[in-house]
Amino acid sequence: MNAAIEITNLKYRYHDGTEALRGVSFCITSGECVALLGPNGSGKSTLLLHLNGILPEKLSGDGAVKILGEPVAPEKLEAVRRQVGLVFQDPDDQLFCPTVQEDVAFGPQQLGLGDAEVAARVQKALAQVGLAGFGHRATHHLSHGEKRRVCLAGVLACEPAILILDEPTSDLDPRGRREFKALLRQIPATKLIATHDLELVVELCSRAIVLDRGSVVADGPVFELLNDEQLMLEHGLERPHILWHVHPH
Amino acid sequence: MAGAQAKGLVSVHLIHHFHGRHESPIHRLPAALKLGLALVIIVATVLAPIQWRGWFLGVAGLLVLMAIVSRLPPFFLFRRLLALSPFVLGVVLVNAYQPAGRVNWLGVAFKSVLCLLTVILVSNTTPFSQILRVLKSIRVPALLITTIALMHRYLFVLMDEAERMRRARASRTFTRGRRFHWRALATVVGQLFIRASERAERIYDAMCARGWK
Repeated sequence: MNAAIEITNLKYRYHDGTEALRGVSFCITSGECVALLGPNGSGKSTLLLHLNGILPEKLSGDGAVKILGEPVAPEKLEAVRRQVGLVFQDPDDQLFCPTVQEDVAFGPQQLGLGDAEVAARVQKALAQVGLAGFGHRATHHLSHGEKRRVCLAGVLACEPAILILDEPTSDLDPRGRREFKALLRQIPATKLIATHDLELVVELCSRAIVLDRGSVVADGPVFELLNDEQLMLEHGLERPHILWHVHPH
Repeated sequence: MAGAQAKGLVSVHLIHHFHGRHESPIHRLPAALKLGLALVIIVATVLAPIQWRGWFLGVAGLLVLMAIVSRLPPFFLFRRLLALSPFVLGVVLVNAYQPAGRVNWLGVAFKSVLCLLTVILVSNTTPFSQILRVLKSIRVPALLITTIALMHRYLFVLMDEAERMRRARASRTFTRGRRFHWRALATVVGQLFIRASERAERIYDAMCARGWK
């Protein structure tokens, strides 16, 4: 199997000197759905921003991050961003166009597609997230759940091979969460999901990586990791209740 | 101050409320026509000599007629006008201190109100994205349009954020000292500025993530 995301000894320090990532390494195979766990401030979001070259500010192309075998380097940035779809945590950061239609069309337009192809992709992406007919709505008038789904549509419209989500279910009501999980399950891309929603992890992911204070502290099958109560508690997590009812064997 | 802030927030949301719910012949007119007409009215109003009383009354009549046809609630229009009145007051004050100003300040005030009413009518009967489209079609530079679009989009986010901060502050403000209030307000404004610039960075990241060049 070929590696979709390959990270070797990735380090990052913020301007104020805070060490956010202290030598992170892992590899994700194409088609995997992996959860990225860890307490607030453990470096999850910072790590995700490295996967399409938004961080570090000055890309060195040293090969610490490889996407589909290619190092993320300045001259490869466009190709990398084509492959990696990033859904941000706060929908208001991502939805910047006046209408849903325009926002979902933004990515495909940046890819340089023709008008007809853009329109087709917008329609397909909106239908995929269950928002067909929402194109004309104003983005700032949507509910939080709808905003989330428009964000996802905006990224799906670019048809990325790798989908990266930063806390996709935070602030959603139970129904919103359930629907969003069902949506994610249908998407065939390689997925890396940073989340605190451990139910989502159990339901969607086969593997989990636990990050704490900028280092990987555990990496393995979801059931094994989440069942390890001591590990979970040590790193600001917990053994989810859902595991009391699910039998892995 | 805080009250005015909250009121501003509500009325801005109301504008959009009307876009969504209201329908009228004025709403259905092409955006380009409305913007062009508004420009003509404003330029003509500004340039016309103050002695042309009949002309001004004619414009005022036309605007009132449009307001009635547009079915925007009169109270709403009045409130919008009131919110923009500091501009009128400023213009009138400056005018009153000029040599010939004492004679024509009333005319200047009337002119300003007419212009503002025109803008209010157009902006409340035309969806913002259509206004942008018109600007694009008359070749306004793309960078400027992007800036205007982003400003409009995040105005609401910022206002909501200001309102949330105001509420959070209000629920922990126990003393009534005015000086304290002003100091707290200064902090809020500063915080808002920092948050806005940080959000701008995140927005830019999100745009880059989708291939913005």
